[in-house]
Amino acid sequence: MAGATTSGALSDADFDRFVEYFYKRTGIHFSSGKRYFVDKRIETCVRNSRYDTFASWFAALRMNDKDMLQELINQLTVNETYFLREDYQFDAMLSTVLPNVLAARGGVNRIVGPVKILSLPCSTGEEPYSIALRLLEEWEHIDHVDVEIHGADIDSDVLAKAAHASYGERSLQRVPKAWVNKYFAPVGAGRYQVDEGIRSAVTLHRMNVCDTAEMRRFRDFDVIFCRNVLIYFDELSSRRAAENLYGALRPGGYLFLGHSESMSRISPIFTPTRLPEGIVYQRPTGAK
Amino acid sequence: MGLVRKQAPEPELPQVLDTDELVRRLDDPDPELRREAALELAGKPEAVPELLARVGLETEPRVRDAVLTTLAGHDSEAVAAGLAVHLASDEAGLRTAVAEALASMPVSTPALLPSLLAAPDHDVRVMTAMVLADLPHPEAKSWLVQMIAEDPHPNVVTAAIDALLPAASAEHIGVLEAAVLRFPDDPFLAFTVRAALPRLTGTA
Repeated sequence: MAGATTSGALSDADFDRFVEYFYKRTGIHFSSGKRYFVDKRIETCVRNSRYDTFASWFAALRMNDKDMLQELINQLTVNETYFLREDYQFDAMLSTVLPNVLAARGGVNRIVGPVKILSLPCSTGEEPYSIALRLLEEWEHIDHVDVEIHGADIDSDVLAKAAHASYGERSLQRVPKAWVNKYFAPVGAGRYQVDEGIRSAVTLHRMNVCDTAEMRRFRDFDVIFCRNVLIYFDELSSRRAAENLYGALRPGGYLFLGHSESMSRISPIFTPTRLPEGIVYQRPTGAK
Repeated sequence: MGLVRKQAPEPELPQVLDTDELVRRLDDPDPELRREAALELAGKPEAVPELLARVGLETEPRVRDAVLTTLAGHDSEAVAAGLAVHLASDEAGLRTAVAEALASMPVSTPALLPSLLAAPDHDVRVMTAMVLADLPHPEAKSWLVQMIAEDPHPNVVTAAIDALLPAASAEHIGVLEAAVLRFPDDPFLAFTVRAALPRLTGTA
């Protein structure tokens, strides 16, 4: 590999080659503006591996070493989040979206099957557990309607953390004290673990939203939160992700994107719906 | 009732269908099966001719978009050329969908630009400006500037101005003002430029 000699140091040509490889495997594209970030993360991967140069590490990676690829994905995906982030969208879910879902599915007393909610990417679990907390504390029908909550992420390390569900005070800063006392248990060092009842109600999956074959496992969701991830994709990967999210939704189901994201620049297959709390995207009800 | 405790087994991956079966499904009466088949043909170059043939035949926009998403993933000159013929379609939905697909093909779309920029049909050139608006290519702005400076049709020039403006800077003031002078009888073009100039000159 030209120009790659010591540790994780990358030449410009290496960087371009690496970016192309990573894009093909994940749909995530890094521009040259992310060069420093990528260099540092690759350096860590090379250091943690049994290879001593970028060239040998990259050659092994390209031989389809799944563990190496997963470690790389874990290094290069950003997972910073916290409980009740952008919670105006949870307000919208409670005040408008879930009532609409119930009405479309026959009402509280006649609904067949659970209401299904997906958080993707779920990172270390704050979002799906936030959804659970808001439902348990604020949704009047939670005792009458079954709700399935799923979380999915491409990064296996964060999924392990989500399963453990132990959080520091920074992550919990927006959670009311009464909720912390009710649904969390202190586990030392200023950390709190989500109680077993909620942990056992959130199903976690490793999943790449751009992978059509993987995403076909997800069907009939009523609500999907897919926030602040499409901004990392180029046009084609965003289109693929949009198609896969569409396929995962029930007709009439709702998709929440991050506040700075817009489906209108990605794909026309969703119907934008303006709610008091902002825009949500809906799979058209007429579409089977 | 309430939160459902997780079920033990992961949902199973649906059956993997071979290429021939997926191609057959492109004609299925169920649009959702057609949509899924189109997406699952990603990365299968042998299916490109059938997918290209579907672009003009498919009547469901969501299925057509899936077909275009898969075709855009091939990003070859043959695919780009096969799509570009639809920029002249009478159906607005089709030509817009194709323009969006071409805009996500930065490797192969540029090779078509000389012929698209010289297309005798000015509506094709308008759609070309739409492609350039979203094409992630270092020369995209230069091609738009060329359209603004040289295209003889005011609708094309206005479309190119609309496409350029989000990324325009002070260096483009000259070409925009020249366009206004080239089409003195087009108030919409003049209005578009006048509205944009304060931001470009820093006087907004």
